[in-house]
Amino acid sequence: MASIFERYGGFASIRRIVSDFYDRVLDDAGLSSYFHGVNLPELIEHQTKFIMMVTGGPANVPNEQLRRAHSRLSITSSDFERIVELLTQTLEDHNLQPEDVAGVISAVKDREAFIVTRTG
Amino acid sequence: MVDRGAGALLDRASRRLSTPIAVADGSSLQILQENARFFQLFPTAGGAEESIFDRVPGLNRDRVRQALEKGRQYLQEIELKSGARTLTFNVRISSDTEGEPSIAVVECEDVSKRKEAEYMLDSYSKLAEKNARELQREKERVEKLLLNIMPRAVYEELKDYGTTTPQKFEDVSVLMLDFVGFTDMAVSQDPGALVSELNDIFSAFDRIVELFDCERIKTIGDSYVCVSGMPNPNPDHAAALARVALRMRRYLERRNESHPTNWRFRIGLASGPLIGSMVGIQKYVYDIFGPAANLAARMEEHCEPMTITVSAGINAAIHSRFQTTSLGIATVKGFGEMELFRLDFESPR
Repeated sequence: MASIFERYGGFASIRRIVSDFYDRVLDDAGLSSYFHGVNLPELIEHQTKFIMMVTGGPANVPNEQLRRAHSRLSITSSDFERIVELLTQTLEDHNLQPEDVAGVISAVKDREAFIVTRTG
Repeated sequence: MVDRGAGALLDRASRRLSTPIAVADGSSLQILQENARFFQLFPTAGGAEESIFDRVPGLNRDRVRQALEKGRQYLQEIELKSGARTLTFNVRISSDTEGEPSIAVVECEDVSKRKEAEYMLDSYSKLAEKNARELQREKERVEKLLLNIMPRAVYEELKDYGTTTPQKFEDVSVLMLDFVGFTDMAVSQDPGALVSELNDIFSAFDRIVELFDCERIKTIGDSYVCVSGMPNPNPDHAAALARVALRMRRYLERRNESHPTNWRFRIGLASGPLIGSMVGIQKYVYDIFGPAANLAARMEEHCEPMTITVSAGINAAIHSRFQTTSLGIATVKGFGEMELFRLDFESPR
């Protein structure tokens, strides 16, 4: 079966999801502190690749790279949950089918161990 | 009474405008008026008589002045931190010197979203290019593998049309070589070492065949089959293949002198019509069928070890340029009686 990335129109559609998700995360009062002083092109590159990967697009972010990118941020599991919630809302607002949203979210959660480094 | 004076409504509207705007003195560039959005984004430090350089960070003073003096507008992209975000503005400064006093207008267009889209596109195109390069490498690898088992022309046909048609060639030459007593050699020696030697020899043959624009068709065990004149036509196919045969002989003679294993070959050459075709669907091979292939096999059977036997047809095509010796009339299975020749060497010019 074609990937979510392909079925929803490839990069043309996925880029809107990335952009919207990016806005929601940066506008979230609890999360925005993680993004202070972050290099914008790098952040967008990372988010684009990450969303492409979890939707089955032609990108791969190795787990080791995820670990390195997040290790210094000491992200808590509750903040991770919040991010997952924002991504779920974004995907739903972009009319992804519930089973596809679940598929993406489960791909994100599979990587939780490489992103979350702090309990709380 | 409602003030409908020139600019009064516009003045009110500009306060609600989401684009930051300010008006500065034309010569000192001190800010005279600004709208709310400008004030919010570029807050005053509190000092009196602040110029646009005190308020808008990162502007290039000299360039701004130069542009305005020449009556040109000035454009610059600046970045501004706003919470977690980095906002990008296109700052445009233009002057109006016609009225009194002369003024400079500062507008800042928020291009953050555009920037963000550009970065995203950059990231995606880098990925796409990387994937395309990997795909290209893989394609070249597959092509190289396929070219090992079929001629390029047939590969092109297979690639373009998904299928190949058997092709008839009216006049081509075929060379068949095998080694005398290979089976016994393989049993009596270390088979691994023997196959590795055979691999060396066939690789050398491949280079010789390529050198003379001929085509290796296949190897079966210890036998080696190559052709000239197909799939690319070559009017002098017999001579080309005769040269290949002589080079193979020389290679093996030299090799035998310096190696413990003695490789005793027989080579048969014949020419005639031939059909070349892919055989099989999943596991395909390119193979040849027809009189020239059969006759070459017979020539090889009639061959004395360490010599090259050629058919009358090959002899007729090359005897003016190569030294050959008649081996007399022989009965050739499937072909009847015919004169055979031994190929000795290429005549010096």
